[in-house]
Amino acid sequence: MPSPRLFKPSVNQWPIALEGLGYGMTHSPASIAPHTPRTATPLRRSARRLHLALDVVEEKATISEESNVSKRSRSNAKEQGISATPSKVNPAKTNRTREACDSTKKTRRKIDKELKEASFTPVSPDQSESKRRKTGRNEPAKVITRVRVKDQEGEAKKKCRDVPKKKVFYRVLVYDGGKFGIGDDVYVKRREDASSDDEDPEVEDCMICFRVGTTIMIECDDCLGGFHLKCLKPPLKEVPEGEWICEFCEAKKMGKEIEFPKPPDGRKRTRTAREKLLSGDLWAARIESLWREADGTFWCRVRWYIIPEETTAGRQPHNLKREIYLTNHLSDIEMESVIRQCSVKNPKEYAKANEGDDVFMCEYEYDIHWHSFKRLSEIEKNAGEDDNDEDWEIPKDAVLESDEDMDYDEEREKSLQTRATEIAANSGKAKFFGFQKIGTKRIPEHARSHAQTELERAKATLLLATLPNSLPCREKEMNEITTFIKGAIHGDQCSERCLYIHGVPGTGKTMTVLAAMRNLKSQVDDGILKPYCFVDVNGLKLASPENIYKVIYEALTGHRVNWKKALQLLNERFTDGARNGKEHDRPCILFIDELDLLVTRNQSVLYNILHWPTKSSSKLIVIGIANTMDLPEKLLPKISSRMGIHRLCFGPYNYQQLQEIICSRLNGIDAFEKQAIEFASRKVAAMSGDARRALEMCRRAAEIAGYRIKSTSESVSLGDKARVVMGDIDAAIQEMFQQPHIQVMKSGSRLCKIFLTAMVHEQHKTGMAETTFEELAATVSRLCTSNGEAFPGWDALIRVGCMLGECRIILCEPGSKHRLQKLQLNFSTDDISFALKDSSVLPWLAKYL
Amino acid sequence: MSFGKMAANGAAIESLNLIRGRLCNSDFIFRFLCESPDSNYSKLKFIFSSSITEACNNSVLLLGPRGSGKAAVLELVIGDLLKEYPDMITVVRLNGLLHSDDTSAFKAIAKQLCIEHQLLFSKMASSDDNTQFMLAMLRECGLAHKTVVFVLDEFDLFTQGKQRLLYALLDALQSISSQAVVIGVSCRLDADQLLEKRVKSRFSHRKLLFLPPSKDDLLKLMEHALSLPIDSSIPQDYAVEFNARLHTIVVDRQFQEIIDSCWESYPTIRHLMKFLFCAVSSLDLDSGYLSLENFKTALPSMQRQPKMESLRDCSILELYILVCMKRLEVKEQNSYSFNAVMKEYKMVHDSFHTSDYYGQNICLRAFQHLLQCGLIGFTDGRVGHNQAIDFRPVKLLISVSELTHGLKFYNSCPVHAHSIIQYQLSDDT
Repeated sequence: MPSPRLFKPSVNQWPIALEGLGYGMTHSPASIAPHTPRTATPLRRSARRLHLALDVVEEKATISEESNVSKRSRSNAKEQGISATPSKVNPAKTNRTREACDSTKKTRRKIDKELKEASFTPVSPDQSESKRRKTGRNEPAKVITRVRVKDQEGEAKKKCRDVPKKKVFYRVLVYDGGKFGIGDDVYVKRREDASSDDEDPEVEDCMICFRVGTTIMIECDDCLGGFHLKCLKPPLKEVPEGEWICEFCEAKKMGKEIEFPKPPDGRKRTRTAREKLLSGDLWAARIESLWREADGTFWCRVRWYIIPEETTAGRQPHNLKREIYLTNHLSDIEMESVIRQCSVKNPKEYAKANEGDDVFMCEYEYDIHWHSFKRLSEIEKNAGEDDNDEDWEIPKDAVLESDEDMDYDEEREKSLQTRATEIAANSGKAKFFGFQKIGTKRIPEHARSHAQTELERAKATLLLATLPNSLPCREKEMNEITTFIKGAIHGDQCSERCLYIHGVPGTGKTMTVLAAMRNLKSQVDDGILKPYCFVDVNGLKLASPENIYKVIYEALTGHRVNWKKALQLLNERFTDGARNGKEHDRPCILFIDELDLLVTRNQSVLYNILHWPTKSSSKLIVIGIANTMDLPEKLLPKISSRMGIHRLCFGPYNYQQLQEIICSRLNGIDAFEKQAIEFASRKVAAMSGDARRALEMCRRAAEIAGYRIKSTSESVSLGDKARVVMGDIDAAIQEMFQQPHIQVMKSGSRLCKIFLTAMVHEQHKTGMAETTFEELAATVSRLCTSNGEAFPGWDALIRVGCMLGECRIILCEPGSKHRLQKLQLNFSTDDISFALKDSSVLPWLAKYL
Repeated sequence: MSFGKMAANGAAIESLNLIRGRLCNSDFIFRFLCESPDSNYSKLKFIFSSSITEACNNSVLLLGPRGSGKAAVLELVIGDLLKEYPDMITVVRLNGLLHSDDTSAFKAIAKQLCIEHQLLFSKMASSDDNTQFMLAMLRECGLAHKTVVFVLDEFDLFTQGKQRLLYALLDALQSISSQAVVIGVSCRLDADQLLEKRVKSRFSHRKLLFLPPSKDDLLKLMEHALSLPIDSSIPQDYAVEFNARLHTIVVDRQFQEIIDSCWESYPTIRHLMKFLFCAVSSLDLDSGYLSLENFKTALPSMQRQPKMESLRDCSILELYILVCMKRLEVKEQNSYSFNAVMKEYKMVHDSFHTSDYYGQNICLRAFQHLLQCGLIGFTDGRVGHNQAIDFRPVKLLISVSELTHGLKFYNSCPVHAHSIIQYQLSDDT
């Protein structure tokens, strides 16, 4: 294991280093400008309108003078300054009042005395927002004062014994005028002595006139410098579409030496936070949790961002200017060092974002131990949010988590990290350890080439794995499923609790059910529907049918038991309805894909599963999917009666539907000719009506078209002809439905052909499909002698026969039976005559076919 | 031996080693056949690289008779791509003969993935765990821009049973946005028909058919494999002369006939290379050049006829036993045992007055030898394994014509044996 590269200071180095800075940073509250300047008109990202705070840049001469003073003394000076200000409350008191207002919002704890003491209560405007949440997670606390004085804090801690020695966790924290929440991205200070850090302009100057103004500025895509439209030569009227590169960068690219205009005397060019971050003078981080220590200081745990230069791979040519990586490095830092928010977006959002200077793009996660990159998955984000909901549900009445707990957590985390190498990756218990090892050392260039052609986009959207935005042609079935589930959840005793869905493969059964469940989930989130649990099982992914109990039980409770125990527990839960836990009240939807795989010899698994819904107390709803229409009829009567009458058939798609499906996927991509799509869908509809087949066929056709265009465009440049035409679809169909045996027979050796001809001849002669090698050898030798061929010998012949048998052109017994080996053609004699009739090498074969 | 001759000898040895090394290296042979843009190599490479660069899942079947170079081309493609995209491809290899059982297949996948990514593998993990692990790995690898290639050799054997492995793999391809390629290699041309319908629906229906190369390509390949490089340590004038002589051999009609007959009896490239190896091994080191004779002498060793040869190795007694069995079959006794054969043997001895008569235990030994040679065999398979040999029904495994042919070429065949067969054949007609 490579040792982690410590480029961030460890936690205990931090506070001291940062405090001093913090004092240097004091602005008057008025100087805090709004974070995201509003744009009046939708502009592209690189265009920025400056917000109206014109007095942002404050000259802080005093601070820079002080920069050589020792840190401690400086902070003392500040302390005095602060304590001198009359507006500030005594820190000790602040602590207590703050504590008090926290408590009012969250718990009933020890409010009485404190509340009376608190002469003023900070406003909490986000009440409504937090109430809306279904889980009632802990309420965001608002803390407006800024804690500054370390020494006095210590005293305060001693004084206020009644303040619990526990950490208080927050979800949203207003700190020094800025509002920080979990999951927010912030700038963090880095160096204590950088004088330039004192200024924190949130607007940048124009690169030419060095003034800020209210007019629109344009951003160079190369150097990221901002320019007033009117300062450019020639001036631009409006922001142009597409990339724009400033004259300086353009000149630099041409190889000319160019000097950027110097700022006027007395005015230093101020660097924005963005510039500082990208040059490594600032850090960015994502807040993972926020809390207040027992001593009243505010801390947060952050996950660092890293700029490409700081990675081992360095800046790669395909890195964007504003690209940063999320690391897996967490540290606890004091809120003191947090400057303000920035916004880090994923590529999709980033492409849309068009305002502000503090926008960054983050697509990858960087592992600091293994120095490897991994894409951030969007799914993970969603899952993460869900997790948060649950995590925050637990301490909702007690926001306080003891230090010991925290220590324990940390310890556990640490131990997990060290133990990661010891735990086997594939043992499910530990939820797959060591995945952090997987990652690329460098991000490959091809992954970042976003300029896709129409054909490539079409190919990507036709992939089976891409989830379509909509499911055309299955609205009726979807409604039926939705109404069924809703009816079942609302719990009419008489209503059906079991739904059987059948249809041939590739007709969207699973996808429709899952889409319906997604819709229902969003309804649950909106509070329209009662919450329910959803368990998704696939019969073909179970090691044995009995394992389904285990899987269901694990999905419901999270515990792993063996299947017998699980069956017993599930029985208790569903049939007896014994324990009335809160969880048990929820209706449970069990969705079993490939239901027919659960059929065992005595069919007990299916019986159990279908028996539970009939119990009134179970609140279990079963949706089963299988291919065969008559599965219930094939089962025991007691099961088929329980499976019920409620069935839903997914018929094969007809060609209009297939066409609609393909068109809906290709929406907005002009890569296919209309007839080509129709041709493909007609072909597939005639064969099977399998949507997967149709999509794969179109994808293959797109590949063929791409290949065709590539090979022709070298000689002729066909600008607009990059489309899939009928010919490509036809080629794809040919390829998909090709019959390999005909080609193999055609290209076979002479002896193969003679052998097959003899087989056909024999079959015609005797009228029997089966023959033995002895008879066949006799026929072959007869054919050979009458047509002037040399008889190759029995041993060669039997080898040829076995080879044909391997390819399954003929069916045969093992060759060791030699003379007694039974042979039979695997294809019709017509196929063989078709393949061998016009063989140029052996024209005489046609006589016998 | 003069110094010059010794040098020539050294050059001959060096070139011989070079050519032999080439003939044993399937990469060298198939690389030559892969150059055209329509070849399976470029098609397969296209599928792979599109999966790597465009981050998509793919499945493909490589079909073709045995020895048509499916695995060789696949290895060539994988090797090239590993060079082109280092550290981005994980290859998981499964073989139907070893992993046709789903549980062991999942375990093997988990193990190979663990080894590849230096994770710790647990033997104790359940099949479900391994499946989950595989899916999780596919997702993670997709996020890290790594392609996982599953090579399923003897693909047809994976289709036995419930096809859980294939379902899990192909279902993962259609539901997870990973970068995986599933490659099935099979010599059964109907391998895709063996898939269950829901597995088949998830399969992309891409098939690459491997056909034997055309005759022109074969000749070009042979010349390519046998010719010496001009710019190497081998003396240049020798190499030029060697290549010129080789060319005259290759265009010779006689040579082409030899190749034809060799190709006919065994139409695979691997076998052809064996033939060339034999031919090259008989290279005359003194002259140092290949001649047509080399190929002529190598041909018979490639066209062996095992049954004929074992017939030639039989003793006289064994021949008599075969003849007796033949007689019994002509008499339309469909099932007969060693005892019946012994009776017939005695009868033949009595009626034809053959020179010598052997006792039963000697005959039994001869009988057992015939069984081992595979010239005769038990008809009941394994059923009566505990039964005494004497009473188990046997059958002659070579046909009459083979037997007569064999006897004809047997050096010291007793006249009687021959005449008995002749006699009977004339009896039949």
